[in-house]
Amino acid sequence: MIHPPLIDGRPTVQQVTKDICRPLHARPGLAWIAAFLCALTALLMGVGLVTYEIRTGIGTWGLNKTIGWAFDITNFVFWVGIGHAGTLISAILLLFRQKWRTSINRAAEAMTIFAVLCAAVFPVIHMGRPWLAFWVFPYPNTRGPLWVNFRSPLLWDVFAISTYFTISLVFWYIGMIPDLATFRDRAEKKWQKVVYGFLSVGWNGSNRTWSRYETLCLILAGLATPLVVSVHTIVSMDFATSVIPGWHTTIFPPYFVVGAVFSGFAMVTTLLIVTRKVMNLENYITMRHLEAVAKVILTTGSIVGLAYLTELFTSWYSGSSYEQFAFKNRIIGPYGWTYVIMVTCNVITPQFLWVKKIRTNIVTLFIISIIVNIGMWFERFVIIMTSLHRDYLPSSWAMYRPTFVEVGTLIGTFGLFFTCFLIFARVLPVIAMWEVKPLAAELISPHRESSHG
Amino acid sequence: MNSDDKKYWKGLEELREEPQFLEVRSKEFPEEISQTTRRNFLKLMGFSFTGAALAACARMPVEKAIPFLIKPEEVVPGVANWYATTCAGCTASCGLLAKVRDGRPIKIEGNAESPLFQGGACAVGQATVLSLYDDERLKKPLWLGNAASWEEIDQSIGKELKDIVNRGGKIVILSGTIVSPTTRALLNEWCQTFTNARHVVYDAVSASAILSANEKSFGVKALPHYRFDLAKLVVGLNADFLGTWISPVEFTRAYTQHRMPSHDMTRHIQFESGMSLTGSNADRRIPINPSEEGPTALTLLKEISNLKSGAGSSNETAQDLWKHRGESLVVSGSNHVDVQIVVNAMNALLGNIGKTVDLDNVSLQKQGVDDEMNRLVDEMNRGEIQGLILYGVNPAYDFPDSDRFISGLKKVPCSVSFSDRLDETSSLVQAVCPDAHFLESWNDAEPVQGALSLTQPVLRPLFATRSAQESLLTWMGKNVDYYTYLRDYWREKIYPLSTGLYLTFDNFWDLSVQNGVLSLPAQTPTERNFSGSVPIAFQNPPKGLEVHLYEKIGLRDGRHANNPWLQELPDPVTKITWDNYAALSPKTASALGLEEGDVVLVKNDYVSLELPVQIQPGQAALTVSVALGYGRTHCGKAGNNVGVNAYPLIPHPTGFRVEKTGRKVALAATQTHHSMEGRPIVKETILAEYINNPSAGNEEHEKLLTLWEEWPKEGRAWGMSIDLNACTGCSACIISCQAENNVPVVGKDEVTRRREMHWIRLDRYYSGPEENPETVHQPMMCQHCGNAPCETVCPVLATVHSTDGLNQQVYNRCVGTRYCANNCPYKVRRFNWFDYAHNDQFDYTMNSELGTMVLNPDIVVRSRGVMEKCSLCIQRIQEGKLQAKREGRPLKDGEIRVACEQSCPAQAITFGDLNEKESRVAQQNHDGRFYHVLEELNVRPVVGYLTKVRNK
Repeated sequence: MIHPPLIDGRPTVQQVTKDICRPLHARPGLAWIAAFLCALTALLMGVGLVTYEIRTGIGTWGLNKTIGWAFDITNFVFWVGIGHAGTLISAILLLFRQKWRTSINRAAEAMTIFAVLCAAVFPVIHMGRPWLAFWVFPYPNTRGPLWVNFRSPLLWDVFAISTYFTISLVFWYIGMIPDLATFRDRAEKKWQKVVYGFLSVGWNGSNRTWSRYETLCLILAGLATPLVVSVHTIVSMDFATSVIPGWHTTIFPPYFVVGAVFSGFAMVTTLLIVTRKVMNLENYITMRHLEAVAKVILTTGSIVGLAYLTELFTSWYSGSSYEQFAFKNRIIGPYGWTYVIMVTCNVITPQFLWVKKIRTNIVTLFIISIIVNIGMWFERFVIIMTSLHRDYLPSSWAMYRPTFVEVGTLIGTFGLFFTCFLIFARVLPVIAMWEVKPLAAELISPHRESSHG
Repeated sequence: MNSDDKKYWKGLEELREEPQFLEVRSKEFPEEISQTTRRNFLKLMGFSFTGAALAACARMPVEKAIPFLIKPEEVVPGVANWYATTCAGCTASCGLLAKVRDGRPIKIEGNAESPLFQGGACAVGQATVLSLYDDERLKKPLWLGNAASWEEIDQSIGKELKDIVNRGGKIVILSGTIVSPTTRALLNEWCQTFTNARHVVYDAVSASAILSANEKSFGVKALPHYRFDLAKLVVGLNADFLGTWISPVEFTRAYTQHRMPSHDMTRHIQFESGMSLTGSNADRRIPINPSEEGPTALTLLKEISNLKSGAGSSNETAQDLWKHRGESLVVSGSNHVDVQIVVNAMNALLGNIGKTVDLDNVSLQKQGVDDEMNRLVDEMNRGEIQGLILYGVNPAYDFPDSDRFISGLKKVPCSVSFSDRLDETSSLVQAVCPDAHFLESWNDAEPVQGALSLTQPVLRPLFATRSAQESLLTWMGKNVDYYTYLRDYWREKIYPLSTGLYLTFDNFWDLSVQNGVLSLPAQTPTERNFSGSVPIAFQNPPKGLEVHLYEKIGLRDGRHANNPWLQELPDPVTKITWDNYAALSPKTASALGLEEGDVVLVKNDYVSLELPVQIQPGQAALTVSVALGYGRTHCGKAGNNVGVNAYPLIPHPTGFRVEKTGRKVALAATQTHHSMEGRPIVKETILAEYINNPSAGNEEHEKLLTLWEEWPKEGRAWGMSIDLNACTGCSACIISCQAENNVPVVGKDEVTRRREMHWIRLDRYYSGPEENPETVHQPMMCQHCGNAPCETVCPVLATVHSTDGLNQQVYNRCVGTRYCANNCPYKVRRFNWFDYAHNDQFDYTMNSELGTMVLNPDIVVRSRGVMEKCSLCIQRIQEGKLQAKREGRPLKDGEIRVACEQSCPAQAITFGDLNEKESRVAQQNHDGRFYHVLEELNVRPVVGYLTKVRNK
């Protein structure tokens, strides 16, 4: 079976460089400016609301004595989950030598960084006293025997997220160095020469450099791989190690990891469809890429569905009335509609991707990716909120309704995410030129055809 | 000479026009400007910055909190003094102890020496300490609305009174029930001094019918002393004796004494319209309409007389009463004389008079007779009253026909009020002479004949206020202060009656003041014959709904409406705060298509009130219960316009219809789900089963393993047990805890958002049919789990376990992740969503200099963003341990009493050391009724519960 080429239009190697380096010389298009202004507005609104919240108190949110987390931690888990696709694409697929990843890995990694950035906002701002957030780091201090609590999953979170962010950032940056050098060489303005010159750390493209560089990339990929599994495993332990029915579940680690990959790939799809259009990169991010991503969504979506069923079975099989009630309440309780949204978006919608026509159609794929994103946000909301609002003692059962501050903060993080992403698309190589060029070269000299994927 | 030519010169240089001078003059700045170099500038700047920084480093000047030059003998900074006094929160007049720290009272406890009240204190009593620090109190007397000095006031009023006497006009002192014998004597003397003066007693919520009925039935116009402690069977007819009726603390203590499960456990049957606290504790509760009180009593009476005549009866209650004749008690809260006469006949027939109904040592807690007040208002309207002195009353608010009172008041030329604030009535009078708070004044009380108690001031008056007695003494021209008057009264009237061995009167007086209470020998109660006629039948009410009016535990008759603690105290049954509402039965509500929170018009031909609907299981069909005491307009910032005034409904309680307005409001309830969902949270059984098996209803226990290392079991291991059979749900513990632990008030909006801050709450669950459910009350606070789920999840170790088994919250360390609250299976942790102190958004108790004086200095005021919860009153544990250590002796069981335990009128809560085998709490841990809530989670709480046993 011969696969269609990974990139279209048979560009020459020069053409690749020219296409990817276009933002270096061209002014931003209208679409970019419009998108950037929208994102920036959302970001500024978010900054304003967070400032208001920190100045006034968590009371500006809709939480209460029974429901201590809702939008805040939902958003946190949602954003951390988004990040996972980037790491999976750049690390695991690199190790498995999946060449289709080359066009999309840079953008996906950028997405990871920005998503983790968005996620990291919430653990800080959800604190009652965020100005003391540094207390969660175990560093030598003058506060006597007071240190951190290593038994707390929140502390594990601190380690997991900070490690994840660091490695993702390093991996992303290292991966960009040859391309930054290309930018440096093609830069015309002085500031570009200085900045790209600094960032490309004296890259000279020698054989020795390349050989060491590729080794380093492999090592970093190896280091990043466990993170795909570990980060969301630990995030899931925030819930799994608790005593609250609906949280206290052993299935959570794999369930969360798959969910994260699922949501991450959906976000990758959304972003790539927009990026290839706005940045005129249709030749590099092709249908072949999108289809591969769609298949991942289909697979992980099905696993997520299986997890939902397993969860229901476990609660029934546990014989614990609290456990059974928690799930009954999720489905037919006052927040049953959120469960319906979750199942519809996450389990039913991806099944349409079995149809080739649907998964190779940009419009349907885009719609499905958005639906999955919404569904995965609701999955976290369902897990967090519906478990809390009716737990052991019915006297404390309560309802929750988000305030404008919470909704605005969520929108604000989308603003942060897209602001970062749009700036990234303007100032950094969106596609890994050095990885795509071999593919382009192969297309030109078919003797070296080896891309059977 | 032309002035223009005239030349003035400053110096000779100018006159001579020397060149140097001309040069200097042409410059903008004639003086030499120092040529500061850049270096010098930096040097100077550096020096001044350093100087400023050093100056700023100086320590804040030390402010001595108590700069005593000569220290008063008994005041030790940081050590509390306790003074015995008497509560003036309501006319029950419980004996109290006031805790005074550094010169200011901060906490109220019951006086355990009091034979009547035995150390309990209700929510209202404990909240009176907050009323002392109420910003709305008048700081000075007012004459025609303007601040005046006491001399001016005395002069003006003296002149007015003299004029009235000269004119031969009538003067009336209108007061609430006066429990103080000395004040009564003073009023008598006052009325004799001024010809044509008389004293009228007016109680907003009166026991007038009982007084009148007793006069007709037994020839004694008095309120009997009901002896719940002697009753084996209590039948209540709309009498909320555990909550608000006459003397709830005394009755609760007496009632619960024999409610411990045993062969002779008291049985309690309640007939009532709305679900009251008392009804929620009854073994059998029968919903009746208010108009059915008479017929119900009459039926019972007939059945009992049938039984007496040997004819037999099929009525279960009647059989029960007959079986317990002489040791049963029928009480009715009705204010219809006919109903009370039937009740009297019943008690007489059962031989209860002289036993459970004591008419020889009568209660003096309600003395108002409604007719006298009606007559007075008529006289006022006819212009016959020349002088009116209002003492402890607010008829412009609580008189049902307040407009008639106000129009009458306008016709009174001289009106004086002793109100402590500009309330509905005192804002209409000529002179307001603010009475001192009871914690600032001397007084005495005699709630029940022979049971005396003294009120002593525990601090100097905060403002230029004067006790009413002092004012009256001044105006009658008696040059003696009230303290002397009181002492003299006791010397002449009380000392001779006392039986104790005292050397001198001074000795007697000192001991009485110290103890706060004094018992005079009681009369032996005698049985009395019922005389008079029993009504044959009662009139049927007109068609429509009937209104049942009641007092709430917190606000009572409305006088405490500006007390934010009481406004935020959840109603023990509905759990609603900051509002009154129209309680409808679920059936009636669904028939009318109403949901909880729908605003309706409750109206008949005379009155109409706009109220939100509350759907109350157990509410009698076709009745609407509405609480009195709300809808104040002039009580202060906290209580103004909270709820609706229901007093106008009193004269017209029938023929109501309910109309929808289409609006909906949120009721600020602290609990919105009312079923236990079949979970074993409150375990209960019935007496018959308990007698067979002390662990009835509590058979299931799980012995679970733990992965964690067990906590060491050495030293102290604090624990608590709560007897659900004793707990009536009266909510005194909530206010006690709030006062002790500086728990903030958050207001209606925040309670609606489910963010009340109470550390202890009372969970109330219903079971059975919604027309008449069974109710349980369960105090719930931090359970101090041995394997605390909150402790493992805190990332910064802000909540940790102490060696003596407490789960401690370290506010300073808390960063506010709220994970602990999420992971708490009991949901007892409370988060500071906002700054509740010194924040204009929360203008309740902690936003003014005066308001913050009530704070307990042993407890920090928590800041925004930190978690808090019950600490098992760690400050009291610490104080008790230190006390024992200082005295070089082991700690005794019961020596340390936590706030909720100490105030509990039912003595339902026991705190102690689980490691001490003999301690009460350790003993109760081995009781068959003992269990832990959510035992199966293996969190190993140290707070446990004893099952509820119903005497069914």
